[in-house]
Amino acid sequence: MNLVNLPAHNFTRRLIACLGLFLIALTAAMPVAAADRTEKLLIGVEPEHNIFDQMEQYRYLAGYLSDQLGITVQFTIMSRYGEVIKRFKTLKLDGAVLTAYTTAMGIKELDLEPIANPVNLNGESTSQGYIFVRKDSGIRNVKDMQGKSIIFVDQATMEGYLFPLAYLRRQGVTDFNKFFNRFSSSGSHASAIFAVLDGRADIGAAKNTALNKLALHDPSIQQELNILAQSPKVPEFTLCIKNDIDQNLQARLAAVLFQMDKTSLGQKVLKKFKALRFVKANKADFARIEEMAREARSAIAEHGK
Amino acid sequence: MNTLSRPLLRILVAVLFVLATAPDLHAAKQIGVIMSGDVPYYGAMHETFVAELNKKFGKTEKIEIILQKPFPDPISWSNAARKLIAFEVDLIVSYGSPATQAVIYEKSSIPLVYAGLYEPDQAAGLITGKNVTGCGFKVPLSSIIRYFKQLKPINTLGVVFCSAEEDSVRQYKTISALAEQQNITIKKIDIRSRADLDKLKTDHMDAVFITGGSLAHLWLNDILAILKRRQIPAADIFPDNSASGVLMTLHPPSTSPGQMAAEMAAQILRGEKPGNISAHVFRDTELVVNLVEARNLGLTFPVQLLVEATKVIK
Repeated sequence: MNLVNLPAHNFTRRLIACLGLFLIALTAAMPVAAADRTEKLLIGVEPEHNIFDQMEQYRYLAGYLSDQLGITVQFTIMSRYGEVIKRFKTLKLDGAVLTAYTTAMGIKELDLEPIANPVNLNGESTSQGYIFVRKDSGIRNVKDMQGKSIIFVDQATMEGYLFPLAYLRRQGVTDFNKFFNRFSSSGSHASAIFAVLDGRADIGAAKNTALNKLALHDPSIQQELNILAQSPKVPEFTLCIKNDIDQNLQARLAAVLFQMDKTSLGQKVLKKFKALRFVKANKADFARIEEMAREARSAIAEHGK
Repeated sequence: MNTLSRPLLRILVAVLFVLATAPDLHAAKQIGVIMSGDVPYYGAMHETFVAELNKKFGKTEKIEIILQKPFPDPISWSNAARKLIAFEVDLIVSYGSPATQAVIYEKSSIPLVYAGLYEPDQAAGLITGKNVTGCGFKVPLSSIIRYFKQLKPINTLGVVFCSAEEDSVRQYKTISALAEQQNITIKKIDIRSRADLDKLKTDHMDAVFITGGSLAHLWLNDILAILKRRQIPAADIFPDNSASGVLMTLHPPSTSPGQMAAEMAAQILRGEKPGNISAHVFRDTELVVNLVEARNLGLTFPVQLLVEATKVIK
């Protein structure tokens, strides 16, 4: 019997990296469009907790968009959160489905155009960050958090990193190294939630939609957690396209997405994609995220991480 | 001559016997230790305790440790507590709830440091007093159900506990309430004697949760052998120190309680009053999944569960 003691963080990283590579290979071989199509759109997707489910979701959407646009549309899961800008360039992507903060970065650094936001089955296209603890933890406010452990999601998430940093700074926490006994990143929103539920961390930060999704399968989850703070709502996912992609194609893509819920075939695909419809993305939404990022960055500068 | 030498000989033998069996009466400090049973988890905790104590006193003061590992039943716990009180040790250290409660019941003035107690603040007989301090732990039992459900559908959950152990009963009640909320039927398996293990051979169960009780852990290998034959996965809130083959454990850290108990003991031996030392509850946990057992049981851990693990045995 071989006993392997891996820190969860490293293990997660390796696992996600391996699965990412596997799925990239899988995606490349995926027959989503006819072979004679010369035009192609390669769109990256930020990984979530269960990338198998995620890939399955995007497979149907890729097929539908390919058929409707008459070009090959491929989705590829990017290997991990963060490094989105780097991955965008190395994978030579034409667009990406990004979370709030990476969209803001993409707009700023890659000149991406936000096209559409999916509306989830609860009728929401937005998400918000939560700071939460176990109900029986005895933690009721920021003061009680002193000397405890906190788990974030990843530095590239608004809900799971920038928001808690900015919030804690506003509450007077200026030196994270001193204030917390330990802080770490889980790599996914669900993992941050499980870490707090299990007692592996005292305080967690993650997005509300991830919590709602988990609570749908297990109602005890919400009963066990206390939400101490929540961020403003921001677009959860945004389909962005490079601005140098043909404007006509961009417009056609947007039109197909916005019409999906009006056709029976589109509705079927939306159901498999676990969304009600797509709505137009608003560039102005990301200005507030940039502001929060600035606040968080100053917190980082102060605590020197 | 014969009539005089016989009583003398008896006295001499008695003195030699006492000297041989009694603790070193010349030791500067004596610590009496009681485990709730000869359970590997308590054994590991005690090893850490001794190592830490040696670090603190090794070169400066002689510490004698009298270790009691009574069989897990109320009379044995009580006898072990009385024996240490009779020895007039300077401090008693207890591992597990039953041993701790047995010492508190005796109302001795000897300071007590406890370790390895499940939610001591929720205990039926309160674990408090001016001579008492220590460290307990909390493990969210809802996570056990959650992780089981990720492995396979759970309609009936067996719970192995011991009705003579207060903390084991509390765990049984907690997980039963959680299971009820999720429409899971609970199969109660009260282990008071070896014969009770037969209950595991017949009842239908999709999975089994082993509460942190000493009797269940004394017979852990036998329990797991039955469950393996029936292809029933088991989860535990004690670490599987003896590699018995528990599928999944969600347990408190192994070394921290022993270290903290040693720190508390050192403070008391140096003159601090136990009432002035705050009790502590460890809330952090480690999730260990055993892929070897999963393979034996024909189960596959989903990726989402594996990424949560602190340790993977493969």
